[in-house]
Amino acid sequence: MKLGNMLRDALRALFRKPVTVQYITKAGEMVPVPERYRGKIVYDKEACIGCLLCIRTCPSGAITATEEKKVAFNISRCIFCGQCAEICPKEAIKLGSDFEMITHEKEELFVQ
Amino acid sequence: MNTIAILLAMVPVVFFISLLFEGIDRKIHARMQKRIGPPIIQPFYDFIKLFNKERIVPVTASSGIFTATPIIAAAAAILGASIPLASLTAETSVVGDLILILYLLAMSSVMVMVGGSSSGNPYGAIGFSRKMTMLIAYEMPMLISIVSVSLNCFSLAYYDIVSTQIRTKSLLAFTRPSMAVAAITFLLCIPATADVVPFDISEAKTEIIHGPLVEYGGPYLALVKLAKAASNFALTFLAMGLFFHLPALLGGYASVGLGAICLCLVTTLILLLLTITVPRTIFARLKIGQAFKFYWLIPLASSIMAVVLSILEL
Amino acid sequence: MVDKMDYTPLRIPLGPVHPALKEPISFRVTVRKEEIVDVDVQLGHVHRGIESLAESRNLIQTLYLVERICGICSHSHTTCFTQALEEIGGIKPSWRALYLRTLIFELERMHSHLFLLGIMAYEIGFDTLFMFTWHARENVLDLFEEITGNRIHHSMNTIGGVRWDLSLHMVEKINDSLKEMEKSIKYIEEVFQDKTVEERLCGVGVLGYNEARELCVVGPTARGSGVSMDIRRDYPYAAYSELKESFSVVLRNSADACARTEVRIFELFESINIIRTILDKLPNGAISTGISVLKLMSKIPEGETVSIVEAPRGELLYFVKTNGKEGLLRLKVRTPTIPNVLGLKPMLIGCEIADIPVTAASIDPCMACANRITVINQDKGEARVINWENLRRRGKKQ
Repeated sequence: MKLGNMLRDALRALFRKPVTVQYITKAGEMVPVPERYRGKIVYDKEACIGCLLCIRTCPSGAITATEEKKVAFNISRCIFCGQCAEICPKEAIKLGSDFEMITHEKEELFVQ
Repeated sequence: MNTIAILLAMVPVVFFISLLFEGIDRKIHARMQKRIGPPIIQPFYDFIKLFNKERIVPVTASSGIFTATPIIAAAAAILGASIPLASLTAETSVVGDLILILYLLAMSSVMVMVGGSSSGNPYGAIGFSRKMTMLIAYEMPMLISIVSVSLNCFSLAYYDIVSTQIRTKSLLAFTRPSMAVAAITFLLCIPATADVVPFDISEAKTEIIHGPLVEYGGPYLALVKLAKAASNFALTFLAMGLFFHLPALLGGYASVGLGAICLCLVTTLILLLLTITVPRTIFARLKIGQAFKFYWLIPLASSIMAVVLSILEL
Repeated sequence: MVDKMDYTPLRIPLGPVHPALKEPISFRVTVRKEEIVDVDVQLGHVHRGIESLAESRNLIQTLYLVERICGICSHSHTTCFTQALEEIGGIKPSWRALYLRTLIFELERMHSHLFLLGIMAYEIGFDTLFMFTWHARENVLDLFEEITGNRIHHSMNTIGGVRWDLSLHMVEKINDSLKEMEKSIKYIEEVFQDKTVEERLCGVGVLGYNEARELCVVGPTARGSGVSMDIRRDYPYAAYSELKESFSVVLRNSADACARTEVRIFELFESINIIRTILDKLPNGAISTGISVLKLMSKIPEGETVSIVEAPRGELLYFVKTNGKEGLLRLKVRTPTIPNVLGLKPMLIGCEIADIPVTAASIDPCMACANRITVINQDKGEARVINWENLRRRGKKQ
């Protein structure tokens, strides 16, 4: 009977710190994000040369061209694959570590 | 007249304490699983939130039974819990004896099942049939152990058994071997009466989507949950009063009055944690055949042994 | 004899939405006094039309589309697809890239098996074991986040190689995590041999060896019934041709839910061995071809091929037909859950209602994968529609 094992571990867990964190209900509680994390797009407008290669490889059609020969990103369609960042010849696109993208304003969902 | 007033005054106290105990049970259960868990007053939030929801009665249900049974179940469970509590506060036997208390508790759980099966859902019918099978399994050992206790103390009234312990300054479970066996049997029957893993077969979440509770929502669900919490509290309070009345050990000022009540509640909490929370955490759910076999083997045998031993005055 | 005449059969819908099922699948179970007499399985609730979407996208867009067929076996889908493209285009990835692909493949297998062990514990009502198992799974997800940047859809593969490399710091982290996970998995193995768990799992959902071969079930479902098939050993792909000595195929003969769970637990240990070997033998070199993906796409000519990998649930098969102009003419995906689901009917007949969630979870259904083609059989299609109508009419009458 392995009953004793489960009982011992349940009691041990009772007196230790829990492994979950109170993420939003307690201010400031966060687990740090690793550096390769693919979050919201960070776009360097100066470096962009308007080659529009990123539009050809985006799987979900989240990138559109603007009149001034630059691009605009629609975050609500983005699937955060990172293909645009890989293919950009001038490294003007980077995927940052911001993942809290919920908003009430629709304008915040566009990165220009 | 006085006792009836005390009984009615205990009703809000039972309401408050049973929901509080349910909150503590959920918190400890969560901590044993390495997570933080809800705040202790979460059942109160749930109760209030559920009363703000819409009342939905399914088309295939017999609406009279469906809407009336949660109220009857909640009322019966709360009464069943207030009688022992009122007896202890008034220090005399309040209306009714052990048979009445057990009947009220049984009625509460059966009413929930009847209401669930009257909803017209096949899952409700399956849960109802499973609960009836379990009822045959666990009611017998529980009643026979109560019979052995009353044979021992020559009375069926709750307060008489408590005052026996106070007079002899000892816990009933440790006086004689027959009482120890009866105590163990009663404690073994509590998980099945409270519908807790490993015996929560009639309300299995993953198999039959909560069985009879599947069509309940809104205020009806709030009343059903209240009935369950009150019934858990009543069972453990009964077990405490019959077998482990701790204030009896200390005597003097600690055996009567407010101090005694608080000590009783603490003991009830510990018993609740031992018989309801710990099995809920460390066991898996059994099938109906296996649970039935278990209850007809061990608790039934031990309860019959308790009766035989108490007849032989052991 | 009297039994069968007295009790009328009760038809229970184990509908698309049910706490026992991770993903939507419809069972219509006919029950006589808690014993199952007949089972009717219906798929199609998560059909998203991926194969038709693939025909209007270019190859690199389809790679990401295919990854999102399933969350838990996403890397298997991309590996299969890139293998097919590399075969048509004649592109050979470097050995380091192949080893890294295999590393993520094995980590994903561990993730999927731990996921399923938690679900099995939850089905039998054992919440605490579910929490403990998923706590162990968090180690793997943290590793994924460190290496690739995301917890599930890793997007590790690209045409001709992989996209991210391992640094020394990450290799150390992987080794530490493996040690911790080995301890947790040994503990989980012990708890799964507990008496209450055994009573729920053993003897439930038996699928004999002959039936398993007839229905062509794959993966751990087949290995639990004694059928020895594993694509990693029979038709090695990626770096498995060089890793043959570091793993063995786990077989069991008792063919019930307990056997399938044991197969998965021991496959976890095998995966740990493979990962340790990969980290030892990792060759140096480039991780991708260095040519831009757009140029590579234009080099892939018209052609067709079939590619097979061993996903965590079994054998995954892709048929890819390119049109030479950076697009696809036809993409067909046959996932392992499709044959496994057909095995449910012989498994469930004769069991009790309490065994349905346990059996359904023990074949590890991934419905998101399985709703590729219209699975509803042509010859039975009519009968199913009529049955559903009957059921509704009966329900309305009552």
